[in-house]
Amino acid sequence: MTDYVDAGEAVPHRTLSATKGQAPATSDVNYERIQQARNEPENWLTYYGAYDAQRYSTLDQINKDNVKRLTPAWVFQAGMNGLHSGASTYSFEACPLVVEGVMYVTGPDGKIWAIDAATGEELWRYKHASPYDVSLCCGNVNRGCAVGHGKVYMYTLNAHLICLDAQTGELVWDVVNGDVRAGESGSVAPLIVKDMVIVGSAGGEFGLRGHMDAFDAQTGERRWRTYTIPKPGEPGSETWGDEAGEAWQRGGANCWVTPSYDPELELLFQGTGNPAPDFDGDVRPGDNLYTDSTIAVDVNTGQIRWHYQFTPHDLWDYDSTMENLLFDAPDGRKLLAHADKNGYFFVLDRTNGELVRVFPFVDRITWGEITPDGKVTPKVYPDEEGVPVHFWPGPAGGKEWTHMSYNPNTGLIYVPVQEVGATATRRRREFRESIPYWGAGVAVDLDDFYGYVAAIDPLTGEEKWRWNNEYPMCASTLSTAGGLVFQGTPTGELVALDADTGEKLYSFQCGSGHHSSPSTYSVNGRQYVAVPTGWGGWVEGFLPGLLGASAGDALFVFALPES
Amino acid sequence: MTSTDRSDELHAAGLDGQNRTALGRLLGTGNVGHAEVGDDGIMRATVRIPEDELIFEPSIVVFPQGGEVELTLINDDKNTHCAVLPHNGDPKIIWLVNHSKGTARLSLGGPGTYYYGSTTGNDEGRGLTAALVFGGEVPDDAKQDRPPQPRP
Repeated sequence: MTDYVDAGEAVPHRTLSATKGQAPATSDVNYERIQQARNEPENWLTYYGAYDAQRYSTLDQINKDNVKRLTPAWVFQAGMNGLHSGASTYSFEACPLVVEGVMYVTGPDGKIWAIDAATGEELWRYKHASPYDVSLCCGNVNRGCAVGHGKVYMYTLNAHLICLDAQTGELVWDVVNGDVRAGESGSVAPLIVKDMVIVGSAGGEFGLRGHMDAFDAQTGERRWRTYTIPKPGEPGSETWGDEAGEAWQRGGANCWVTPSYDPELELLFQGTGNPAPDFDGDVRPGDNLYTDSTIAVDVNTGQIRWHYQFTPHDLWDYDSTMENLLFDAPDGRKLLAHADKNGYFFVLDRTNGELVRVFPFVDRITWGEITPDGKVTPKVYPDEEGVPVHFWPGPAGGKEWTHMSYNPNTGLIYVPVQEVGATATRRRREFRESIPYWGAGVAVDLDDFYGYVAAIDPLTGEEKWRWNNEYPMCASTLSTAGGLVFQGTPTGELVALDADTGEKLYSFQCGSGHHSSPSTYSVNGRQYVAVPTGWGGWVEGFLPGLLGASAGDALFVFALPES
Repeated sequence: MTSTDRSDELHAAGLDGQNRTALGRLLGTGNVGHAEVGDDGIMRATVRIPEDELIFEPSIVVFPQGGEVELTLINDDKNTHCAVLPHNGDPKIIWLVNHSKGTARLSLGGPGTYYYGSTTGNDEGRGLTAALVFGGEVPDDAKQDRPPQPRP
C-alpha cells in the first residue's frame, strides 16, 4: 500500500462558512455609558436594557397605530450540530444586546455570535465546548452576554467565564468558576459594573452552596465571591438548624438570573434560588437563609447589606432568582418590585429591604398565605413520606425567571403569568455530588393550566388589565414608548399588546415557542424588535402540556416595512 | 461481568459490527485508548477508521485532564469520511479521503466527555461517533468552600 494521503490539519468549522470573522469597531461601552443606557435607545447595552431591569425602551417608531404592519426583517438560525448536552432540552433563552448596529447574542450549547443588526449577516462566532455529560437541571440554555470595555463576556454550561474581543470574537481569557463534578453549571447573562463582571452560580437542584462572583473585566482575576448560604458562625447560619449539621453545605440559593443594580446605592439586587433538597424540609430545619430571597450586595465588597426572604423554609421549589425591577415612587422613595414564584408580588424599599406592599398576582395559591404585612403561613406541603400533595403555583411558579417590564408612562408593570399546579410526593434520598437532590417525585399538571399578561400598578397592587391566553406565559415582556407590550407565547406567536388596555394589536407565528427575552434597538433610524425563539429548557416544569411541541432555535428580528 | 464477557455478549448479540443485528454498529462499543502526555504537556492519541467497520478505533480516548490535545486521525477505510471535533472557539473539521492521515489540535476543558463524529451521510449513526473523555478536577479556587462531599 502506498503512503497515506496527507489530510492536513483540522480547521475551524467557521472557515467553511460565510461568517466574516470581524465586526466593525464600536465606541467604548464603559460604566458611565451603561448607567445612562436608556438615553441611547438605539442600543440595548446590557441584559435588561438598563441597570434598573425595567426592560423599557423609549423607542416609539413602532407604535399602537402601525404595529399591525410589523414584519420580519431578517431571521438568524442558530442550528445545532452533532451530539450536544441536553440534546432534547436546548432552548434559545437569550436577550440580544446591540451596540451601534452590532448585535451580540448567545445561543444554546456555548455559542455566541456578533451579527449585523440591520441585515442579520453573521460577523463572527465563538463556540465554547462544554462536556456532553455536564449536569443541567433545566436544559442546554444561556440567557445572554455582557458587552463592555471592548470585550464580550459569557458564562458557559461548564461554569467558565470567558472574555472575547468584541471585534474579532477571539478569546481573551477563560476562567473556571464552578465545579462541574459538584453539579455546578452556568447560564446567567453576566453584568458589567464599574471595571468588574458579575456572575452567579447555577445548579441548585444538585445541592450546591450558591454564590455570586465579581471578576476584573480586563484580567479575569476574581475580586470577590459571596456565598448565599452562610457557614457556621456567619450571620444567618442559625437558620440551618444544628451548626454541626451538614445542610448548609448543600443548601442551594443559587444566582442564575442577572441582578439589577442601583449606581447611587452601589447595590446589586440579586434573587436567590430554592433550598436543597427542594421538597424535603426535614433535613434542613429553619428558614434557610439566604434561599428564596433578594439580597442587596455591595458591589465593591460583595457584602450582603440586607435581605428579604420571600418563602422561608421553602418546600415547593419557589426560587426567587427572577429580576428585581427598580423604580421610584412619586414621592421619590426608591422601590424594588419582585413577582415571586410563590404567586405574590412584593414591593420593597430598596435602600433597606423594608416591605412596602405584598399582594397576590395569580389566581390560584394553595401552598400557603402571605398577609399584607408579610407574615408567611404554609398550608399545603409535602411533609409525609410517599404521600402526594398537590399545590398551586407549581414549582415553576406563578412567574418563572422570564422577566416583567415597566412602562413609566403608564406606571404599570407587565407580568408574564403561569397558572400551572403540581403534585409532589416526598421521597427522601441521600446526598451525592452531581446527582439531583430534590427529595420528592414531582409531576406538573398536564391539564387545567392557562396564562395571561397582567398589567399591575405597583403603587396600589391593582391589576389594571389582563390579556388571557390558553397557555401559560413563559417568555419575558418588553415595554416601549410606542405604547406597546411585546410577549411571546409558548405556541410560537409574538404578540403586541396595547399597554393601556391589553388589546392584542399584532400577532406573528414564529414556528416554535418563546422562552426568551426580546429586546429593541434601531439602526439608521429604523426600529427593530429582536425575538429569540425556540421551545425548550425546563418544559416539564413550567408547561409539560407542551413537551411535544416543536423545538427550534431561530432569532426573528421585526421592523416596519421600509417603504 | 468481565470486559471479555461484555465484548463476547456484544458480539453474540450482533451489536459490534456493521449490518448484523441492526444496520450499523451500536455506539460506544469500540475499544478504550489512553492519551500519552508529552514533555511539552500536549496530550497525544491516534484513532483509525478500520476498513468497513465505520468506527473510530479506539472509540473512547481517555485523557488525564483538560488541556491541549493533538489527535492523529487515520482513515484505513476504502471510503471517504471526516471528523468534526469539539474545540474551544469553534469545532474543527478534517476531511479524510480513503487512506489518508491528518491531525487535529484541540483545546478542551475538563473534566467531562465530548463526542465527535464523521458528519457525512449518516456516518454518525452507523458508528462513526466517538468520545474524548477528560478526567481530573476543576482548580481549587473554582471549588465550593465546604467539606468534601460524598459522590456516587
